[in-house]
Amino acid sequence: MSPVRRDGAPPPTEARGFRFPAFLKRRCENGLKIYAARVPRVPLATLELVFPAGGHWDPPGLPGLATLSASLIDEGTAGSSSLEIARRAEDLGGYLASYAEWDYGAVEVGLLASELEAAFDLLTEVATAPTLPEREIERLKKLRTTELERRRFEPGTLADEQLARVLYHGTPYAESPLGTIESIARIGRDEALGFFARHYPLGSATLIAVGDVDPEAFADRIESRLGKAPTPFAPPAAEIVPADRKGLSIHLIDRPDAAQTELRLGHAAVGRRHADYVPLLLLNTLLGGKFTSRINLNLRERHGFTYGATTRLGGRLGPGPFSVAAAVATESTGAAVREVLFELNRIRTEQVSEEEMEETRRYITGVFPYSSQTLGDVAKRLEVLSIYDLPDDYYDRYLERIASVDRAELLELSGRHIRPDELAIVAVGPAEQLARQLEPLGPVEVVSPA
Amino acid sequence: MTATPELSFESHALPNGLRVVLHPDRSLPLVTVNLWYHVGSKNESPGRTGLAHLFEHMLFQGSAHVPTNGHFRYVQQVGGVANGSTSHDRTNYYETLPSAHLDLGLWLESDRMGFLLPALTQENLDTQRDVVVNERRQRIENQPYGQASERLYALLYPAGHPYSWPVIGTLEDIVGATIEEVRAFFRTYYAPNNAVLTIAGDIEPEDALARAEAWFGEIPRGEAIPPVVLPSYPDGRPVRSEAERREVFADAVLMPRVYIAFATPPYGSREWYVADLLSSMLTGGKSSLLYSDLIYDRQIAQEAGAWVHLGEAAGTFTLVATARPGIEAAEIEARLAGHLERIAAGQIDQAALERARKRALTDYFGNLQRLDMRADLLARLTTFFGDPGGAARETEVYRTISADEISRFVATWCRPEDRVTLWIVPKDAA
Repeated sequence: MSPVRRDGAPPPTEARGFRFPAFLKRRCENGLKIYAARVPRVPLATLELVFPAGGHWDPPGLPGLATLSASLIDEGTAGSSSLEIARRAEDLGGYLASYAEWDYGAVEVGLLASELEAAFDLLTEVATAPTLPEREIERLKKLRTTELERRRFEPGTLADEQLARVLYHGTPYAESPLGTIESIARIGRDEALGFFARHYPLGSATLIAVGDVDPEAFADRIESRLGKAPTPFAPPAAEIVPADRKGLSIHLIDRPDAAQTELRLGHAAVGRRHADYVPLLLLNTLLGGKFTSRINLNLRERHGFTYGATTRLGGRLGPGPFSVAAAVATESTGAAVREVLFELNRIRTEQVSEEEMEETRRYITGVFPYSSQTLGDVAKRLEVLSIYDLPDDYYDRYLERIASVDRAELLELSGRHIRPDELAIVAVGPAEQLARQLEPLGPVEVVSPA
Repeated sequence: MTATPELSFESHALPNGLRVVLHPDRSLPLVTVNLWYHVGSKNESPGRTGLAHLFEHMLFQGSAHVPTNGHFRYVQQVGGVANGSTSHDRTNYYETLPSAHLDLGLWLESDRMGFLLPALTQENLDTQRDVVVNERRQRIENQPYGQASERLYALLYPAGHPYSWPVIGTLEDIVGATIEEVRAFFRTYYAPNNAVLTIAGDIEPEDALARAEAWFGEIPRGEAIPPVVLPSYPDGRPVRSEAERREVFADAVLMPRVYIAFATPPYGSREWYVADLLSSMLTGGKSSLLYSDLIYDRQIAQEAGAWVHLGEAAGTFTLVATARPGIEAAEIEARLAGHLERIAAGQIDQAALERARKRALTDYFGNLQRLDMRADLLARLTTFFGDPGGAARETEVYRTISADEISRFVATWCRPEDRVTLWIVPKDAA
């Protein structure tokens, strides 16, 4: 190789393209969907059954029912106790877990690919015929209640939860999907059985298999085992309407001795299936989704207020939040809020430079293969297709859509979707000091953690 | 049981002492450039702690040909990711890029290895000191149980032992760091002869080696690296603190948490892998010893953990459990100690050992799915053992550890008199 020139970034060599791995998709007679992809890089596989059974479907007054019911599924079947199920999974060189997020519930096994058959049997037994034993629900409720009490000692969690309450009171999004101490106390085995019966029918499920497996042969076997018998369907997702907001509001949680202040700013945004969601991802990345994004460079590198500042776009079935998060030096909290407001106003009023646009587009498309490396990565992406009912060529279209967003569209999107005047601002730290700094910006209330 | 992970590699050394490890894997159009410097907080001295970590931050502040914040910008604008981390023993820097940008990664890394000093400014240091102070507050001071690990290492290793102070440094030392100290640190430790460059992914080894030579070959070899002298007992045990072996620390927490820890043989020794496999037996999954006993059966703990720290000077084997409301820390401590006693006495369920072994191996392979993790493993093996070919050896060790060895490990290294104990208790109750 000839001598190098150090005075600028060296040019790239010829680029190799990347496409999301090919996968099989099948819909069985009874409605069960199957996605299977062969990724043979390691002798492992992952199998999961995904159901419309997330916190989105928590009934009024019972937040936490979806996640508690999910955590009960792997606690017993007619033939195996809780620990026996765990041992059987571990004997296959893996693990079994059942859990719920906002938009789905899942039962998942990781395994050595050579044990596929036994793992499939175990998954089917656990996900289709759990006994939800009374003894286990009492045990899990105790653990959950303690977990909820403990979260009151985590300043970042307190801040997240207060923001959600302000933006979404009266809807399932107002509380953590883990529920509240009061709601968990109200949940018994009957509620969990009812939730399981409504939300875990195979006709509304998707089976995802990724790893060193033969997709066709595997799908045939699944279809004959699970795809014939008719089952009921789970109820659809109800609409979630965020709380009405007029103007900016500031909410403090007092931790007089805190070494730092946890800061959140946010408002409701669009859901995952909204036509603007993908271009908004680009907007979010530019504002706070990568190290070189505007808000991180401003708060961390220009001012040293924080170890890091990020923005997030909820991306749920319903209108999840757009939010800014940072743990900041308490004495700099007012200044940090002003800088965030400055950045949110700037993005709405000034066109972004072509250079910054191109950097952001290339970042998102460039990291796509990096974030599709593992079995888990690929399974997650298939999960997204199923949960949000997206087309098979979605990831090709996604990359094209990102590449197509231009400066004018970004400005127009920012104007419609970023609303600095409606922000809820939450700060967890020494309230007296924080109130002095934040009062000039809007009405301040001090709340005690729920 | 499972195949050995395929980690084909080539290993070279440049005349300036830089070791170059190449791992071709063309399944994705990605390349990882990974640099390990064999310097960490254990190379610091008391009163000057946190320098290695603060220095890691300064390495992202630009170099002679790369402007402040240019590093992340160059990487992210082509769709790459970059980061670095500091431990007791080493500091690493890495970027994963679309493979067409291999030269970009090599340019950035060679510029900060060979041409950093002009960019080390007081202004950049001032900002990064503030950032690190906020990092310390966020991760340690403002987190429930955040100070446990500092307290534990201070109990376990005597004052002056390089594991006795925290990697991030004390607040006082971070604030007190000067630009001269940062410069001297660079001159002493950031030389090609103290580094391993690993290039993994979509490469032709011959081409990648030529590029590595072109970018790094002209950087001069540095002085010999000052050795870290580690005191140890004549019987080969790591030296341990004879002062205080127990501490009760009050923190803003809901539940008491109990830590017990032991200074054990370092990473690379057979005992280290025994401790790792034992950790998997203790808390690797729901059926593990501590989970099934403390959390499931007795319901006296909210959570439990066990691990051995990957340390070059010593392993630190730690057991932890958080008491459920109404349960005394003393009861938790007694249960943890009881498990160790039974293991030392030879009471090990062979089936549980086999499950733990399977888990240790699938975890090992699972981690190797990511290109950056594979590069990091090769760099670790090269830095600590001088040979990137240790993955097969490591997995072979996990395959052959017997129940007897586990018992002997606990009987030898985890005796009651070797133990340090830390309780983190709620402030109000203290």
